[in-house]
Amino acid sequence: MRHLGIAALAVFILLPLVQAILLSFTATLPTDAVAAGSIGLMNYGNVLAEPELRAAMLNSLIYVVLNVALCISIGLPAAYALARYRFTGDRHFLLMILAFRVTPPVVLSLPIFILFSQFGLVNSPVGIALVHCLFNLPVAIWILESFIRAVPREFDETAYLDGHTGPSFFFRHLIPQIAPGIGVAAFFCFIFSWVEVVFARILTVTGGKPITMAIQAMFSFQTDIGMVMAMTCLSLVPGVAMIWFVRNHLARGFTLRA
Amino acid sequence: MRPQDNRAWFLVLPALALLGLVGALPLLAVINYGFHDIFTLQDVFWVGPQWFADILQSDRFLASLGRSLLFSTLALGIQVPLGIGVALLLLTYGKRAVWGLMLVALPLVVPWNMIPMFWLGLIQPETGLLGPSLAAIGFDWKFTGWHTWALILVVDTWHWLGLVVVLAYAGLSAIPPAYMQAAAIDGASPWATFRFIQLPRIAGALAIVFLLRFVDSFMIYTEAFAINAGGPNDATRFLTLELGEEIKGFSYGQAAARATLYFLIVLAVVWAFVATTREREG
Repeated sequence: MRHLGIAALAVFILLPLVQAILLSFTATLPTDAVAAGSIGLMNYGNVLAEPELRAAMLNSLIYVVLNVALCISIGLPAAYALARYRFTGDRHFLLMILAFRVTPPVVLSLPIFILFSQFGLVNSPVGIALVHCLFNLPVAIWILESFIRAVPREFDETAYLDGHTGPSFFFRHLIPQIAPGIGVAAFFCFIFSWVEVVFARILTVTGGKPITMAIQAMFSFQTDIGMVMAMTCLSLVPGVAMIWFVRNHLARGFTLRA
Repeated sequence: MRPQDNRAWFLVLPALALLGLVGALPLLAVINYGFHDIFTLQDVFWVGPQWFADILQSDRFLASLGRSLLFSTLALGIQVPLGIGVALLLLTYGKRAVWGLMLVALPLVVPWNMIPMFWLGLIQPETGLLGPSLAAIGFDWKFTGWHTWALILVVDTWHWLGLVVVLAYAGLSAIPPAYMQAAAIDGASPWATFRFIQLPRIAGALAIVFLLRFVDSFMIYTEAFAINAGGPNDATRFLTLELGEEIKGFSYGQAAARATLYFLIVLAVVWAFVATTREREG
């Protein structure tokens, strides 16, 4: 009975993916050399032969790595403060990051575009990396806070007694101790950032397009849907790799802190 | 008990500055735009609360608000119980549950604009894996309103079920085994165990699931637009689709006023939710 439930779930989740993977190996737009419906790697070859699509993959990787690095490095001190101290306005701070986490991107898209164009951050992966902090920094803070909270306070005090304070405490003691937490935070930042389209669209007008927008641009009057699916399947690879790396820590999740 | 120390603010400051730049500043700007008529960035005229009055009095806005609220209710009503159910099921698999978690997490890494494409490909009458059988039973998502609704709900569930499952599973697996043993010794039924032991312990995880799923479903755009662009006959015209139309039509003042209203609605729901959560925790 329970195996049946799991099997039904697997079919539901995998069916659209199977269709996409099948299409990615099928020639959908016939050319002189390849007849429609033939099976092979030609779509992947076409994707990799396209400089714009290669650039898009690089753009996506740059902004997502930058975003994760920003969220972790800025989120970690904040999470430490929230986990270890009470301070005036701490609950207001938590409420504020919750409010920003739930602000719909479409609400802010217009002023973000105007603001970022003044700073020269349009058409660049840096702009996307910055603006995605809006919804990723709160998540990073929640996750890291819960992991730091799980470390007993005596751990900090021992490190202090050993003469480790400030940066050396963070890098030599705290970060190794909560490494799985950093992995989980990176994972959730990744999944919310890699696939996002609203900010990615508004901030890349002419150049610097990430994968999501490059795929969008592949739709035209005569869309080579097989090639679109090949590009999409390639875009899943880093995400699947992330899932694999954090699989044993995925179950820590995060909870509401307000 | 954590000690009181206001120097902790120095650790929070970078986060505050970044959120001020990408959150607070644009938010103030959008509220300001909402009170202006914007032809170009140089031609801006003060119109006061006129846009807000226009929007609030229009029947279309109220109808879209109703549709979006209904959609959120349905999405939460389906995904939260289903996600908890899957998490409970996975819990019985012990260490092997990790495979289930990886499975349900897969849709989370698919680019949002491709999710509707996957599904449209799947139900394509001629070539889709499900297409011919769906066509045979008369499923017509293009011209039958409730079929479009069903499709968007299925797509949204496919996309986000993983988040509910992962967070619910995280809460459930953190419950000390002693709690469950005590329940078993008392002869508690599975339902009683769930209701009085598991559910209270995963309240924090469910709270964040509720909030995230509420905003994302309430502000659904990418899927809904790609699947039927609000049709048929406005049956799936959600709040965000109206906002999208105004931005595409360069009515930036109206769009900003509308965005401000949406933000206030979301904020009101979140605030009410947090207030009740805090009250219950005491």
